[in-house]
Order: sequence, then C-alpha cells, then structure tokens
Amino acid sequence: MLRYTMKRVLTGVLSLFVLATVTFFLVRLIPGSPFQRGGVSSQVVEAVEEEYGLNEPMLDQYLTYMGSLLRGDMGISYQDPGTEVAEIIGRAWPITASLGITALAAAMILGTALGVIRAVAENRALREIISAGSMLAAGIPSFAAAILLMLLFSVKLRMLPASGLLSPVHYILPTAALSLYPAAVISRLTGNTLRAELQKDYVLFARAKGLGKWRTIFTHALKNAYLPVLSYAGPASASLLTGSFVIESIFTIPGLGREFVSSVTNRDYTLILGLTVFMGTVVIAVNLLTDLLCAWLDPRMRRAYREEDV
Amino acid sequence: MKVLDVQGLCVQYHTEKKNQSKAGDAGSETLHGVSFSVEEGEIVGLVGESGSGKSTAMLAVMGLLKGKAEVSFERMSLCGEAPVPGRNAAMVFQDAQSCLNPTVKVGRQIAETIRARRGCGRKEARERAEELLDQVGIHNPRLRMKQYPFELSGGMRQRVVIAAALACEPKLIIADEPTTALDVAVQAQIILLLKRIVRETGTSLLLVSHDMGVTAALCSRVYVMRQGRIAEYGTAEEIFYSPREAYTRRLLRDAKGFRRLSAGGKERRPLLEIRYLTKEFDTMEGIRDVSLEIFEGETFALAGESGSGKTTLARILSGILTEDSGEILYRGERLERKRSGSVCGGKIQMVFQDPYAALNPCLTAGQALEEALRGAGRISGKELTREERRERIGAVLEQAGLRREDADRYPREFSGGQRQRICIARALITEPELLICDEALSSLDAGAREQILSLLLEIQKERGIACLFISHDMHVVRQVSDRIGVMYGGSLVEAGRTKDVCSDPWHPYTKQLIESVPEPDPLKAAKLKSVPVTETPVREGRGSLLSPKKLPPVGCPFAGRCGYALECCASEAPGSRRFGSREIRCFLYSEAHSGKRSEGYEMTSQI
Repeated sequence: MLRYTMKRVLTGVLSLFVLATVTFFLVRLIPGSPFQRGGVSSQVVEAVEEEYGLNEPMLDQYLTYMGSLLRGDMGISYQDPGTEVAEIIGRAWPITASLGITALAAAMILGTALGVIRAVAENRALREIISAGSMLAAGIPSFAAAILLMLLFSVKLRMLPASGLLSPVHYILPTAALSLYPAAVISRLTGNTLRAELQKDYVLFARAKGLGKWRTIFTHALKNAYLPVLSYAGPASASLLTGSFVIESIFTIPGLGREFVSSVTNRDYTLILGLTVFMGTVVIAVNLLTDLLCAWLDPRMRRAYREEDV
Repeated sequence: MKVLDVQGLCVQYHTEKKNQSKAGDAGSETLHGVSFSVEEGEIVGLVGESGSGKSTAMLAVMGLLKGKAEVSFERMSLCGEAPVPGRNAAMVFQDAQSCLNPTVKVGRQIAETIRARRGCGRKEARERAEELLDQVGIHNPRLRMKQYPFELSGGMRQRVVIAAALACEPKLIIADEPTTALDVAVQAQIILLLKRIVRETGTSLLLVSHDMGVTAALCSRVYVMRQGRIAEYGTAEEIFYSPREAYTRRLLRDAKGFRRLSAGGKERRPLLEIRYLTKEFDTMEGIRDVSLEIFEGETFALAGESGSGKTTLARILSGILTEDSGEILYRGERLERKRSGSVCGGKIQMVFQDPYAALNPCLTAGQALEEALRGAGRISGKELTREERRERIGAVLEQAGLRREDADRYPREFSGGQRQRICIARALITEPELLICDEALSSLDAGAREQILSLLLEIQKERGIACLFISHDMHVVRQVSDRIGVMYGGSLVEAGRTKDVCSDPWHPYTKQLIESVPEPDPLKAAKLKSVPVTETPVREGRGSLLSPKKLPPVGCPFAGRCGYALECCASEAPGSRRFGSREIRCFLYSEAHSGKRSEGYEMTSQI
C-alpha cells in the first residue's frame, strides 16, 4: 500500500513537471509581451524585458525557471512587481478553499441524503419529486443558478448579501450556486447505486439476521453504494477546490479562479505558471486521496494495490 | 413439541413490480394454502422443482416478502410466537458469496448479529463469533475473522453464513438450497456440518432443496411441493421408498441418474487429441501434462473440484488461451491458431456458464448470432448473403427451441434458460464439430437445467456433434457422458467409460469424489463421508496471500490428501497408464507397486 502510494506520488511529480514544461512554452506563444501597454514605448518594454531576463534564449529561461521552481520559488508577479506569486496564492487560495470545502460538504450531505431518500422512500410521489428536482438542478449551469439566486435572495427579498465573503452569511449564496450541480449528480448516483445494492442478497440476508432496516442501509448497503459516488466526488472536489472563475466573478470573491483568468489576460507569465502548477498539485493530490479512500472502503481494491507492491 | 406450525399459507405476488429482487422474479408464482410443521430438533425437507413455490414459502415464513407480495395464513407460529428473523428464526441462502457483504470483514458480519440479538459489547460479540466459527469447523477463527468474504473459499463462505445464522440463537434455521452452488466434496462437508449443528444445538432445520440426494442425506421428514401446493408428505422412508404421487416418483427417477441419454459415438475416430498439454499461471488454476482424446460424436465429461484446471483446459481448446507446451491435434492435424484467436473456422465452439454475462446486452439475439456467423465466415472464406444469413439464424433459433421472431429481441427480454438457448444457438450456427460446455447448466435452476440438458442431447443426436462437457455436478455428468475424465490439481488423474469409472473408481480421488455425492436413498445417504478439501491459506500479517492455485513443484497433486499415498507420490509425478479403456495416473497401478504383469493380466481396482 505504501509502495503504491509512493508510486502514485512519484508519477504525480512527473506529471507536474510535464505540466510546468508545457505551460512554460505555451504561455510564451501568446502574442505580445507581458509589458506591452497602450502608452508604453517599445524601448521601455525592451528594457523591462531585459530586466526580467525575457530576452535570453528560451531554453535558458526555462532552466532558470525550473531551477527556482525546484527550490520552491515561483518568482514574482510581472503585473504586480512587489508581490511574489506564492504570496498571491497564499492570499487567494484560503478564500477559494473555504468556499470549495463548504460547497463540497453541502453537496455530499445534501446529495447523499436525497439519494438515500430516493432509494428507500415508499412514497412514490416523493421519489419522483427528488428525481425530477435533481435532474433539473443538474441541467442548470452554475452561472445561471448564481444569477437567479442573487436576484431572488439579494435583490428581491434582500435577505442575503450579494457579494464578498465577509461573514458566514456571505457564504450561503455562492455555496448554493457551487454545490447545486454536484449535489444533484451525487443524489442521482447515490439513489441509483443504493437501489441496486438493496436488491442484493446480502441485504436480504442482513435483514434475515435480524438487523433493522436503517442499520442494514447504513452499515451494509451504503458502503458499497458509495464507491461509484466517490469516484465522481473526487474529481468534482478537485474542481471545487481550485475555484470557479464564473462564481467568483459574479459574487466578487477574490479567489483563485479570478486571479487565474486575470493572469492570462495580463500575460503574467510567472503567475500563470505558478497557478497552473499549484492547481495541478491540488488535482493530483485530491485524486490520490480519492483512490486511497476507495481502497479504504473496498478491500478488493486494497488487495489489488497490495499485489502491485510485490 | 411443534417448533414451527404453518397452516393455510397463501402468497400472491404483486404483479406490477416485476423487476424486483430474485424472489420477485417468480412473478406470478403463488402459494395456495400450504401447511407444514417442524418438530423440535428435527430436520424437515421441502422438495420440488424450481417454481414450485418452495423459496416463496420460506420467505413468507421469515416475513421477508413485505412490499412484494400479499401474504395470508390461518396459523403461523414459531414456539407460540410469530417468526421474527434474527430473534427466533434464521435463514441460510443458496449463494454464500452474494449473502455476505463483500466490503465488510466476516467477523463483523457475524458479530453484528450477536450484538443486535443480545445487545452486548463489541468484545463479547467478537469472542462469541470466534466460538461460532470454531463450531462450524473453521480453523484458526481469530485470523479468519479479519478476512473479507472474497478471501475465503466457497465452502468456507457457506460455513460463515451458517455461523451468522447460528449467531441469532434461532429455534429454527431455514436453509434454502444451502449446497447447490458448491462442489460435491464441499457439499458433503456442509451436509455433515448441518447435521452436527442440529445435533449439538438442538435447533430445528427446514431444508429447501431440489436435490433429492441432499434431502435424503439430511431429512427425517419430507414435504413434496408442486405448483404452490403440498403434493405429498411423510417420513423420509415413505417418500423415498414408497412414494404415492406420480410427481414424487418422477423426481426420484430424475435424481437416480444413469439414464444413458447420450447419443453415443459409434465411429471411433478421434476428433480431438490432446497431448501433454501444459499451462501454468501464478494465480489461476493451471494444468500439467494433460493428454486425452475425444471421439467423433461422443460426450466427454470433465469432472473435478473448482480450481482443478477444467476451465483452463476448455479455454485452451477454444483458443482463448494458448498452451505453454504440448500439442492439440484436430482430425490428426495440428491446430493452427489464427490471429483472431478462433480455431478451425468455428468448428470448436463454446457455451459458457453464465448466460447473463455471455451475451452483449446491446445486441439482439439475431445480431449476436450473425456476428458469430460472420466471424466463422471470415476464417473459412465463405461469405453468405444477407438472406442466407437470416435463414440460417431463424433455423438455428428454432432448433434451440426459440422462435424465429426472437431474433429481434434483446437478451434482457429472455429468462436465464432462454438466454442459454441463445448461447447454444450462437455456438451451433457455425456448424461446429465439437461443442465445449463449460458449466453450462450450473447457473440455471433445476427446471431450466433439465430442459437445456435434453436440448443439448437432442442436438447432439441430430447433428452428431462431439461434446466436451465440464461440470462439477456428478449427477449431470453421469447422465450425459459416454466417457469421463477426472481432474485434480491440474492433472487428469483418471479417464474412462463413465459407467466403469462411476461404478468402480480406481483412483483414490475419483473414489472420494463419487462417494461424496449423496444418493437419493436415506439409508445409503446416511453413510455419506466427508472429503478433505484444500483450504485457502490464511493471510499472515500484512503480506499478500500465497497463491493457492499454484501447482506443487513435483509429485502427485493428490498426494497430500490421499489415504494410499506411497513414498514416491510426494517426490515423483506418476505417469499415465492405460488398461483397456481406462487411463490412470497413480502409482498404485505401476508395476513397481503391483509387480510384473503377464500378457493377459487384467487390472482391477487397487483400492
């Protein structure tokens, strides 16, 4: 198991290296210089480029950058010369992550609860309502949901604040907008897999052993039903943790997503690279965690990983 | 004292919920006023064909039909109370694999029952679970507790299920086909275990089975069910020795076997010769030095416990696997392996065990057949026109007992037996000369099994196809085959005419195998003996499991379990010896053991 994890970490590092390399050359393909502005003369631009080492051969720049990246130094932002890239990430990510984790928790709890209800409810109307509701929710794009929620709760009812993340109350609307889609998908997945699981013989046997209905569902069926849900929730949480540009723009949240988009439009090479490598790290880490979580739930998978060790 | 007393039990399934669980599959199956009773410490059998309502009756008693069917009765009492699962009644199902939660350690699955029943602490429950595992004959229970169901063998899983049932401290255990999914050797062990459990704990047992042999071995009283009614009941002796109903007599006749249904090969020209075939795996069952021949038009059966290499052999013959060494001659010529893996232009075809998994759910029956036809056409170079193909598909479907219109239907619209008919039609459409049936009947219920069996025999008679019939069910093997090969641990230990081998086994393993099949005769079945079975090893610490299927490096694979083992058995592999129609691999039949033989010497069984 440890061997497997190490192998995954190693391949993760390799992927990050490839990611950094490809991004490094790609950003330099964007037409124009990072320092070109309307009123700036070309001499000034050249002087600044020289200052930043952009006139050196591409390969030298690459080696210098990778060298400092290995030392953990992501450089300074071109647009905002006073601040380091690490500082920008350090500022923006806690905001994005706190929102992402809240949204993830909301999606998991709500989705699982609705899924379980849909799988076990005897009332047919209730099942149908949940089913139709989750289908509708999965069909609304997050920006539409965000704007609709804002219109209703902030503009019409004036109940909730429309922008910023100053207090817990501010979290409600963006969390709702972010978690709507994953919650819908999780509830559909949980409902379907749990219903299939409940038809299996071991559930009948558990009931014949004298376990109660809810005990059977929670200690036996849900564990097996959750495996497919996890393999969706893993990548979904990675995207929640790296921030959504759309939601962050609508609710004016100074998060990672917004930084990322502005860095691209500004051709801020170091910031683009830094953010890409950082987000890549988050995605790889979250996927590894998901796989380990699945292995923790499913002994058969654990055994397969262990056999890989030998 | 009556433990269970059921009077006038009626069950009516809700028809709208057809796609509910297995019990619901029976659809319209109903019970019309069934009455039965079980005395204290008694084993009572409930027999009948599948679809006769046996399982439904049991689920109704356990109260597990809620929401699926309408249940009514005049009287239903278990020691004066209503039966409550887990409190006074417990149930053991057919398929132990699916009864255990795959992701929960077996120890916990037993302990949770104890906790639910007694409301005691974890530690106490764990200790009691260990006791129970020990009681059902599992060695090293402390280590087994920490294993998951997939790490145990089939027999051991069934023992765990029995332990979980015992954990409820029930007055009555209902066992629904508890041995049907198991090898004969393991089946004998479980039968003896159930007997011992009843004797030791004083609980009563209600056995549901379609197998008259198992019923005879266990029960003192028997109810015969037919179409939702009790057709006949009485003591085991009455039912087995002087049955009143024609239906019971038919069940008994079917169970006695030896019906010589087989078409029989009159021409003795070998169709397939296998010489010294070897294939080894790290984790799967391998085979070593297997030599046998199959004659035109005959049925050759391969028997042996799971893991003995039967399936590996079948897969090599059908081209799914390639051999490590050895050769296969087809009509005297070496088999050439095409890139596509298929051999001889579809002259060897295979029917698989699970008809649910063997058909692509996205293809209609007709498309599945057409695909097979095209594949064979590509190899032999004979392309047929669209009309010709349609005609062939229709004809072969009819031959397999389906209708021409069924070509446009999807697999999900068919029952298990019908799907197996499609699989047979798919195998037949390329006009094969050898049909390999790998446990083709094991996943079907008894009724469908009977029908498919007679279909296979009919087709064989009509077309003169040879058949390699692989099964762990000795009843079926005896019924269908002309000759039989017994495999153990990757070796073909004995081969010969089915009648000879079954009535007078020579190899010690064959003898054990034959003796572990319960006869439908209470007196004979009472002498049923247990056969030791290889157990999957316990995982030590955190390391991975030793691969249990790996062949022992030298010696006879059966040496470790053989009561007749000689010194040479462990160090040297016995060569194959031929005596008339019989071929055997055992040192008991070597000249070194029985002395030099004269010309006219006739070998007899040495055991």
